[in-house]
Amino acid sequence: MPQFDISTFSEQIFWLFVVFGILYMLMARVALPKVGEVLERRHKTIEDNLGKARALKDDTDAAIAKYEAALAEARSAAQEDIRVASEKAAAEQAAKTEAVAKKLSKKTSDAEKSIAEAKLQAMTGVADAAADLAREATEKLIGVKVQPKTAEKAVSVIVGE
Amino acid sequence: MAGPLEQFEIRPLAELSVGGVDISFTNSALWMVIAAVLVTGFMTLSMRRGALVPDRWQGSAEVMYEFVANMLKDNVGTAGRKYFPFVFTLFMFVLFGNLLGMIPHSFTFTSHIAVTFAMALVIFIGVTIIGFMRHGTHYFRMFFPVGAPIATAFILIPIEIISYFSRPFSLAIRLFANMTVGHIMLKVIGGFVGLIGIFGVLPFALLTGITVLEFGIAALQAYVYTILTCIYLHDAIHMH
Repeated sequence: MPQFDISTFSEQIFWLFVVFGILYMLMARVALPKVGEVLERRHKTIEDNLGKARALKDDTDAAIAKYEAALAEARSAAQEDIRVASEKAAAEQAAKTEAVAKKLSKKTSDAEKSIAEAKLQAMTGVADAAADLAREATEKLIGVKVQPKTAEKAVSVIVGE
Repeated sequence: MAGPLEQFEIRPLAELSVGGVDISFTNSALWMVIAAVLVTGFMTLSMRRGALVPDRWQGSAEVMYEFVANMLKDNVGTAGRKYFPFVFTLFMFVLFGNLLGMIPHSFTFTSHIAVTFAMALVIFIGVTIIGFMRHGTHYFRMFFPVGAPIATAFILIPIEIISYFSRPFSLAIRLFANMTVGHIMLKVIGGFVGLIGIFGVLPFALLTGITVLEFGIAALQAYVYTILTCIYLHDAIHMH
């Protein structure tokens, strides 16, 4: 078996050490640091991007929270405005209603007064007319001239009954 | 027809000798150089762009890096980080040596006990030095586990010593034997294909299957060689 031919051992071992030694140097000094650096850089890039994404997400969350707070504030402000406006409107309406009611009641009382005046006037007119009528009728019927005063008294007695 | 052992023959390509020691550049050395060039080319050209999003070649180089790095981390822990270049070189060198051996008419330098044993011996001595540097004379506790009854020392210590010193042999012989036997088997069965005419399809089918298996073994033995190195490193750094 050529494997056990001791005369070839020295050359095999010599070249093994030479080639392995050079390969070791090349790996240790050139190849492996490069691979390690690339892997490290990739790892770092991924970490950085993850960090950036996390920061952006935080920003977004903050913006959403701010927006929601603003929305809630606006909503409560609007509700407050509506409440104030409706209260004002209700107060105005109540005041107007009261004013109208006052006007109406004044008109009613004025009207009642004028009706009463008109009635009084009408009544006096009727009494005068009745006294004149009675005086003329008395003169025509019995030829007696009745004093207007007497006739008025008589009428007022009858009307007053 | 070449014999099944002829493929393991070492032929000098350039005769060299220093101080009477034969250091001829042989077919074995040539394939070591080819393996080293391919490993270097693969690991540097693939990573040339060093892109954030790797292409297929860069992805492969990164997979090899992370595979060995994880093997080392899982078996040795962070203290093994220092030895990563060595473990990586070892894995790639053995893996490429085994796989290049699958090319017809190539030479499998990992099928030679001189190579596997020389590497195993370097690992063994290196690991032992690391052990003594980290633990001083306390490293001798390796031969007598903590908590074992004193009475068992007579049996345990010789067993532990034998087990410790058999490490380079088990490491070297496992790889050498796997590579040698696989290649002999391929050669012998391949020899039948032409000899028995039409019935040669049967050994040919078998040969196809065994070739696939041998590729698996080539990768697996490189892995085993490396992981055992990691386990020895773990013992030296953490002691059992």
